[in-house]
Amino acid sequence: MKRDAVVAFSFLIAFLFIAYAVTARNVLGLGGTELRPLGEFYLSHSFAHEGLTSHSPEVVTAIVWNYRGFDTLFETFVFFLAIMGALSVLRLDGEQLRQARELEATMPHRKMDLIVRATTKLVVVMIIAISASIALHGHLTPGGGFQGGSAMAVAALLLFAAFSKFTLERKGLTLRHTISAYAVGLALILATVLAPVFLYGGKILEINLLPGEAGLFNLDVGEYTAVTFGFLTVFLVLGIPEWVFKNVLRRELND
Amino acid sequence: MISLLLAYITITLFAMVLLGIYGVATRSNLIKKIIMLNVMGDAINMLFILIGYRLVFPVFPPIYESHITFEEFLSRAVDPVPQALVLTAVVIGMAMNILLTTYAIQFYRLHGTVDARDMAEIVGGEEE
Repeated sequence: MKRDAVVAFSFLIAFLFIAYAVTARNVLGLGGTELRPLGEFYLSHSFAHEGLTSHSPEVVTAIVWNYRGFDTLFETFVFFLAIMGALSVLRLDGEQLRQARELEATMPHRKMDLIVRATTKLVVVMIIAISASIALHGHLTPGGGFQGGSAMAVAALLLFAAFSKFTLERKGLTLRHTISAYAVGLALILATVLAPVFLYGGKILEINLLPGEAGLFNLDVGEYTAVTFGFLTVFLVLGIPEWVFKNVLRRELND
Repeated sequence: MISLLLAYITITLFAMVLLGIYGVATRSNLIKKIIMLNVMGDAINMLFILIGYRLVFPVFPPIYESHITFEEFLSRAVDPVPQALVLTAVVIGMAMNILLTTYAIQFYRLHGTVDARDMAEIVGGEEE
């Protein structure tokens, strides 16, 4: 392939140019011993300055704290769009869901080894504890709802692999329930964002009007719930076995 | 010595970024495209954090502790701004990943292929 060779060669030239510029000319200003002015401002003011910042000894937290609400809100927007896009692409209507369930019922039941199942149970409990500690501390440390929720979703994935999707559905984690829980999380975030407007006559997201740390805490808990169950919803839909999905969809195409 | 190491890491990260662009542009398998996009995104995040690094020894994380003086902290701590920005950028990458992977999986289920060239044929064929 001649074209591939030309592309690869031009990338090599670009790489050599960048390597020269970065190392010999230091265009990025890497490896300096001096701080940039903005970084110096945050380092010197985050803990010591009166009244302006959050008094956190962890400077990254202090920066994120000042726009934590916006951060969470727009993270939720992006995540909501992603989940809705995924679900609308993967959706099955009522008839197709019924067909899929019939096909799934004919599948042979397989079990993992006892060691795998027992270890998974232990690890899942630990993951849930850690994710809760990340999320519920989110108003004080970096991390917060999204990171906690992602960790929690990993626990669900482990359960998927070690047991099966059907075990989870038998325990009550059906698609309808996870979507409801996702909606509850989103509603909590929306309520927290809108509460200052209706209760205290402030602006949107002016959560410092709420008593104590209730605003940030509610945002974190809402985000934690939303992310956990948003991921779970997508996993549950993706967890439908490949051949079942194909059968159902091919039938739709043939009609 | 340490600046040599820093230059080495930086060049490697730039190579990863370029490799990512190359992979996205030349591979026709959608899954490989997504993987290369991730490689590129992570390399850029890493590069961004590296910009905040300082060549002082010993270097501190940006966490103030009581047993060091404030001047020492200012002269040794790394730049916290890139870290705070990357914290948010990671989330966007993850959401993008979900969406792209879902599209690729659904395309495979419907048409039995994840090849971008076949994709053009299939989509073009339906329009006629």
